[in-house]
Amino acid sequence: MTQQAGEPYALQADRLWYSYRNRDWILRAIALAVPQGQHTVIMGPSGTGKTTLLRVLAGILQPSDGSVSVFGRPIQQLSRRQLSALIGYIPQQLGLVRNLSAIDNVLMGALGRISDSQALLGLFPRAEIDKAEAALDMMGIAHKRSAQVFHLSGGERQRVAIARTLLQHPRVVIADEFASDLDLALASEILDRIRTAADRENITFIMSMHRIGLARQFGDDVLALKNGEINPGFIGNEVLEDARSEVAL
Amino acid sequence: MRATLFLPFATTAFLIATLAHLGFFDLARLSRGMRNLGILGAELVPPDMGILSTAGAALWETVEMSFAGTLLGFVASLPLSILGTRRLFSSWVSGFARFIAAGIRTIPVLLWAIVFVILLGLGPLAGTFGIAAYTVGYLAKIYADLFEGTDPEIMEAVQSTGASKWQLVRFVILPEAANAVLAQVLFMLEYNIRASSVLGFVGAGGLGFVIQIYLQTLDYRRLATVLLLVLVVVLAMDGISAWLRNRFLLSAQAT
Repeated sequence: MTQQAGEPYALQADRLWYSYRNRDWILRAIALAVPQGQHTVIMGPSGTGKTTLLRVLAGILQPSDGSVSVFGRPIQQLSRRQLSALIGYIPQQLGLVRNLSAIDNVLMGALGRISDSQALLGLFPRAEIDKAEAALDMMGIAHKRSAQVFHLSGGERQRVAIARTLLQHPRVVIADEFASDLDLALASEILDRIRTAADRENITFIMSMHRIGLARQFGDDVLALKNGEINPGFIGNEVLEDARSEVAL
Repeated sequence: MRATLFLPFATTAFLIATLAHLGFFDLARLSRGMRNLGILGAELVPPDMGILSTAGAALWETVEMSFAGTLLGFVASLPLSILGTRRLFSSWVSGFARFIAAGIRTIPVLLWAIVFVILLGLGPLAGTFGIAAYTVGYLAKIYADLFEGTDPEIMEAVQSTGASKWQLVRFVILPEAANAVLAQVLFMLEYNIRASSVLGFVGAGGLGFVIQIYLQTLDYRRLATVLLLVLVVVLAMDGISAWLRNRFLLSAQAT
């Protein structure tokens, strides 16, 4: 959106190919370039490779061919800690530790910045705890600070997962099917909060979704993924139909 | 259809062949056994309560041995099981840790007790170490498998925050496995109380010594008292572990 000439893209993928153990190609020559601060939604039918694409973009999977770079730096050349300062990842099931409290889960966002010995004793610096509380507050869930994640509802868990990622301070956040099993009003409210937080900190979001209404609300750009191929800036009719049939509320 | 029927048929045939080999169909011998069981049962009653204080002291020693041995074994099994988690360490490290656990587990608790009687002399200390050794071998294996089964999505999500291997252990692997870890320790404690009542057979302390004497002197009424005491302790353990489970494994039943 606000891309200046010569400025690197927040996230750029070049000719990405991916297959699991040499079976069929799941991703085929994917190319995309996301400017800083832009929120991109990836839509597509189930089984079309959305999760695989996001995992490759987040640096969790190595592409079979092609490359991903974040602010102009190829992610293969970054250490895990360097990568964690740039990219945050929220999996579809959120990846929260159910036996721990909301605040403990949020504090995990700071693990990339603190030493092993501090972490093993559970001694987070006061400043990190304050920031974690602020992140919970920003997501509207400060009152559930000490509740075990196990006891939280689906919507509350989404808020905790976002708060954890906000504490991580990445410049790009990749989220898989975020808010997809919440009712529309709740999903819409949570996405609004995310937009506010992301715009304030100039975070670039990339999310997969299957509900067209939410995608339009949240995304500056909506990409369609089908059979492992992407059409930048274009939503295919089939994707739309698929999305409509899944909304049907 | 043929393939699905083959396995049950083969299993049944093998079971019958094994039972025949073990003398299960020797009816004369079995009926003699039943008569003997009747005699033994008659000699067990009424239990001789006169030995309650002797047996009680030996029983308490058994409980102490099991408790200390289980806890020592539990503490030692944690690092070994973490090293044995293939997702955290190279196959050399995890393979070596698993090999050690398997080696310890190969030796039954009674043999461990004999080893420690040789090393430390007769008495409950040898029994305690014997129980601890067996517990390490068993729990290290169970825990390593448990840790390996940690939800990969949670691992990936927390790894992407920049967490190190040890931070993952502290914040993901141990909390996620906590319920099962506690449940296994409680199971092991119950198991060790029952198992340790025979350690006295080899001079490793506890109730076994008393049981052995009453068995050898055919003093079945006193033996019955001892067995009743063991039953009381096992039932009490059941109650205590049920209470602990309810108290600490809350999330397993919450909505």
